[in-house]
Amino acid sequence: MDLSIIIPLYNEEESIDALYAEVTAAAEGLSPGSDFEYELLLVDDGSRDGTRAKLRELCARDPHVQVVLFRRNYGQTAALQAGFDHARGRVVITLDGDLQNDPKDFGLLLRTIDEGYDVVCGWRRDRKDKMISRRLPSMAANWLIGNLTGTRIHDNGCTLKAYRGDVIKRARLYAEMHRFMAPMMSLSGCRYKEVEVNHRARQFGQSKYGISRIWKVFLDLLTVKMLLGFKTRPALWFGLLGLPFLFATLLSFGISVYRHMTLLPSMKYSMVFPSVTILFAFAFVHLILLGIFAELVVKVGDYQEIESILPVEDQGGTTV
Amino acid sequence: MRAHRSRLEPDVSVVIPVVERYGDLKQIYHEFSAELARLQKSAEFIFVVDDSQRGAVPVLRELQQSGEEEISIVLLGGSFGESAALTIGFDRARGEVIVTLAAYFQVEPRGLGAALAALEEGTDMVAGRRFPRIDSFFNRVQSRLFHSFVRGLTKTGFHDLSCGFKAMKRRVGRELKLYGGMHRFIPVLALNRGFTVREVPMPQRSEDRRTRFHGTGAYLGRLLDILTIFFLMKFTRTPLRFFGLLGVGLFTAGFFIDLLVVAQKILLQMEISDRPVLLLGVLLMVLGMQTLSLGLLGEIIIFTHARNIREYQVSEVLHGAPARLQAS
Repeated sequence: MDLSIIIPLYNEEESIDALYAEVTAAAEGLSPGSDFEYELLLVDDGSRDGTRAKLRELCARDPHVQVVLFRRNYGQTAALQAGFDHARGRVVITLDGDLQNDPKDFGLLLRTIDEGYDVVCGWRRDRKDKMISRRLPSMAANWLIGNLTGTRIHDNGCTLKAYRGDVIKRARLYAEMHRFMAPMMSLSGCRYKEVEVNHRARQFGQSKYGISRIWKVFLDLLTVKMLLGFKTRPALWFGLLGLPFLFATLLSFGISVYRHMTLLPSMKYSMVFPSVTILFAFAFVHLILLGIFAELVVKVGDYQEIESILPVEDQGGTTV
Repeated sequence: MRAHRSRLEPDVSVVIPVVERYGDLKQIYHEFSAELARLQKSAEFIFVVDDSQRGAVPVLRELQQSGEEEISIVLLGGSFGESAALTIGFDRARGEVIVTLAAYFQVEPRGLGAALAALEEGTDMVAGRRFPRIDSFFNRVQSRLFHSFVRGLTKTGFHDLSCGFKAMKRRVGRELKLYGGMHRFIPVLALNRGFTVREVPMPQRSEDRRTRFHGTGAYLGRLLDILTIFFLMKFTRTPLRFFGLLGVGLFTAGFFIDLLVVAQKILLQMEISDRPVLLLGVLLMVLGMQTLSLGLLGEIIIFTHARNIREYQVSEVLHGAPARLQAS
């Protein structure tokens, strides 16, 4: 199997026929004449409209199609994960079900993977979405992600991405980490590249994201930053987190001593600054202890394993 | 003795956990087995007896000698609680449908037919609701308060989670991994796993009104149980969303309190050392940082297990029709 195309679908009844036609045409056209094999993995994320019935129809018609139906709505990361779990292709491409991504970009993505990359991210440079509600927040988020994680990607939110099949199957994907695919995968030593892809205005339905996800993205980003930051040494990282508290302890202690030396006896016995000193010191010690506990967690978990996702001879990402 | 029968798969497996107390088990057995016979369903009864309720065994043995249906008795080696008892019962159930019952008089068997019919219509689980309630006023008030809290928290619509009567397809029972205090929230858990759950009214037995008075302490324990379950359902993969939001909130509150105090010291020359509110601010900041760092630790735990975590439940996988012989 050369290519698996994964499309998560949630209430896409209107667009599904056009989507199927376009994707199939693009996949068939990739290398005409050769025995290029592809599969189309459609993951239904608990749709409530006629999507499921349409998927059954497609499945009965086309042997390239494989359909995974979820019991309820689990979100895009889970849908992608299910796709990766069922994918058999050497290369895996993901795209949105709303036809805003252009299947004609498949060829470019495949070629870039073959240049020796593990992840190729689409960049919707000329994005056809609303400025205020979609593009500005997205630009801010990408700027922040790039600066905090060091993974300079213009468009983390673009679903159109290509992965090497064996690599993505071992990737850690959970919660809503699909927004941080490149940073998360760079954590395990994957090579990534960004290519410009076409983006089209929405033809059907409504966008399923709102602006309310900002605080979630922010906290997820903090997680990614931490995971990238501590490099298998969480005790050190938590220690650094505790440094401001150490400074605060010393400062407060200094004030306490100064007051004790200089003030009149009647003022000396105010407990506020000594208490503040104790509280800050307590927080510092607590963070150090948590860091040591985190070492324990990392030791029994498989954090270490990430360094060995790619055997050395695979680092180039070249394919046979 | 009845070995030849065990080869046949019964239609319904009735699981009765005998854990905290039990009533007239013989009577319960006879009533429900008669109702099942009337509905023309073959049945097996599985009594899972907690070590603390050993006294029920002789009665059950007697029943086993004389009963029509197949009766199995599982005696647990210790006190593991109702969740464990149910799990063991579910694992041994051979029927397509599992029905759970309380080990004392709670509901009339009359509602059974409607429940089984609902399962046949495609519902995955039916949760009994004692309705109309006839037990003591105080119990009803407590129960209503508790359930409206649970409904709001979990965004579900259940009115009587304490009712032991549930009917479900076997795979639902097998999939629920119950432990601790989870048995009380089976419908909520099933719904969370993507099963369809329907609540059906079951006439309450008159004996149930005389049951012991439920102390408020019992409800406090249940409240903690549902908070834990809520946290696990919603934040298992994203602990920082819970601890982080809480921590950031606490820290920010503390930070601004202290900022105000310091500003007053600098601008208004107010004395700072005799103001306990400074301490409050510091305390909040420290607490906020600790909460946040616990969330971060939770994220590390999830990350190191992420390869084994699968968040989704698949209802069906369809493979494309095999390529037909076509001249294309």
